[in-house]
Amino acid sequence: MSQSLAVRDPVGRPAAAHEPVAALDPRRMLQLALGALWLLDGMLQFQPAMFGKGFPQMLAGSAPGNPALVARPISWSAAFIGHHVVVLNAIFAAIQLLLGLGIAWRPTVRLALAGSVLWSLAVWWLGEGLGGVLAGTASPVDGAPGAVVLYGLLAVLLWPADRDPADRAPADRAPADRAPADRAPADREPAAPFVAARAVGRRIAQASWLAVWLGLAVLALLPASRAIGRAIADTTPGEPAWLAWIDTHAASALTRHGLLAAIVLAAAFVIVALGTFLPRRPARAAIILAVVVAAVLWLAQGLGGILTGSATDPNTGPLLALLALAFWPLSAPARSAGET
Amino acid sequence: MDGPVWLTGIFAALMLTVAVYCAGRLAVTRRWRRPTELDTDAGHVLMGAAMAGMLVARLRVLPAATWEAVFAVGAAWFAWQLLKSRRRAPATWRCLHPAPHLLECGAMLYMFLVLPPLTGPAAASGIAGMGASATGSRYSFLALVMGLFMVGYVARTADRLPSGRIADRLPGARTANRLPGGPVAQSNLPARPYLAPRCAALCKIAMGLTMTYMLVLTL
Repeated sequence: MSQSLAVRDPVGRPAAAHEPVAALDPRRMLQLALGALWLLDGMLQFQPAMFGKGFPQMLAGSAPGNPALVARPISWSAAFIGHHVVVLNAIFAAIQLLLGLGIAWRPTVRLALAGSVLWSLAVWWLGEGLGGVLAGTASPVDGAPGAVVLYGLLAVLLWPADRDPADRAPADRAPADRAPADRAPADREPAAPFVAARAVGRRIAQASWLAVWLGLAVLALLPASRAIGRAIADTTPGEPAWLAWIDTHAASALTRHGLLAAIVLAAAFVIVALGTFLPRRPARAAIILAVVVAAVLWLAQGLGGILTGSATDPNTGPLLALLALAFWPLSAPARSAGET
Repeated sequence: MDGPVWLTGIFAALMLTVAVYCAGRLAVTRRWRRPTELDTDAGHVLMGAAMAGMLVARLRVLPAATWEAVFAVGAAWFAWQLLKSRRRAPATWRCLHPAPHLLECGAMLYMFLVLPPLTGPAAASGIAGMGASATGSRYSFLALVMGLFMVGYVARTADRLPSGRIADRLPGARTANRLPGGPVAQSNLPARPYLAPRCAALCKIAMGLTMTYMLVLTL
């Protein structure tokens, strides 16, 4: 099955002297963004703090509150990592780098995306305690449902396959699948309304979108999330002064209005969740809202703690924004250089 | 908290390898008459040497002030190339995409400027044993932005790695191609194939990853 990538490997055909490099198609751009985030993760894993006792202690800290079936493997793996932290952390970082490079290098994109799914599920359990969802401590401001599970979700949604042959690049389609000659390409609606629907279909993509954003709405209303001010204040140690100032002032303002803030946040999540069911123009507004909400969350998360030197990933903000872009309503396909 | 010495040693060895390889490219390009991006390769030689010295103190060959001047000149060069590239195609031996190299020079300047002076026992361990100065902490967002750009650049370079378009797009001796039934078209394809384009791309990837690692250390 073709990868349906706009820029194809031309090893099999010589490029014309005047032929410009074709633009990346939206799905490939999102795949590269996902790969870049894995590369960033890998480099964050190489930070000196990750080679010390703090890393396994952080992992062990995700166990309390979870059912025993979930908590015991977390504690066991944290203890095991604690005994071999240097070697194992280097392996973890190398795996993330390989995932990023594998997604970026076209011959290995499928293998790397499949690996992303497996790795993210394992880390979501053993490293993030399922995002605290079962422990009752999950809060969107703290990073619930867990950044790593969003990596896995994005890997599935950005899988290089097309459920509908009409979504493939024209040169990849069998002759019987091509549009009738009397219908101009500009008039043809994409079978997939957004990139995320190309591989899994519209319904599954929308179901995953609902699960994420409605799930965040529910988490925002739980008692653990109402102390938004305290959650933001907890991110300030180690931050640069300018970021600590923003978070400190936001925390003090929200401490007095925690319940109201939680309700507003939940409402925003619900609006975003319903966005993909709307017509194109309001759907785009909902996606823009999703990106804005993701950016605000990222600020509240202290940019994932990256600037403190002890973050293992950028947290959920950037990943929610990338997920939103995967649901950006597509326009009718433009005429490409290769189309006749 | 210091990171493992062997880790910085690996990155330093990688940078020295890139520097030596790019120096070799500069040495053979004229002899073999295979075009290459001379300014990119020269930049990689200098960056590789400087980064190796920052990672492992024993590999420092020049004072920090000298490197700062070198990369300030490099940044000015690539900035000028970026401005010129908007008006016309670059010459045969100049890089096609000056922006990433401009940012690399800027990142080198940033790292030299924010790190504490490389003196005393703490300096012996290289960048992994140092924290950023107070000034660096204030501008650490710049390191994050540059790091994000670098991982994006690495991903894009890897995306283009098997395509061979790096060779296709390198401007070279202008050759006239007559399109079937059409006018003569000027081509920017080099008269000879570009010198090892995949290895050049791998050097860019290695440089980008190492630079990201070093920027993350300054956070």
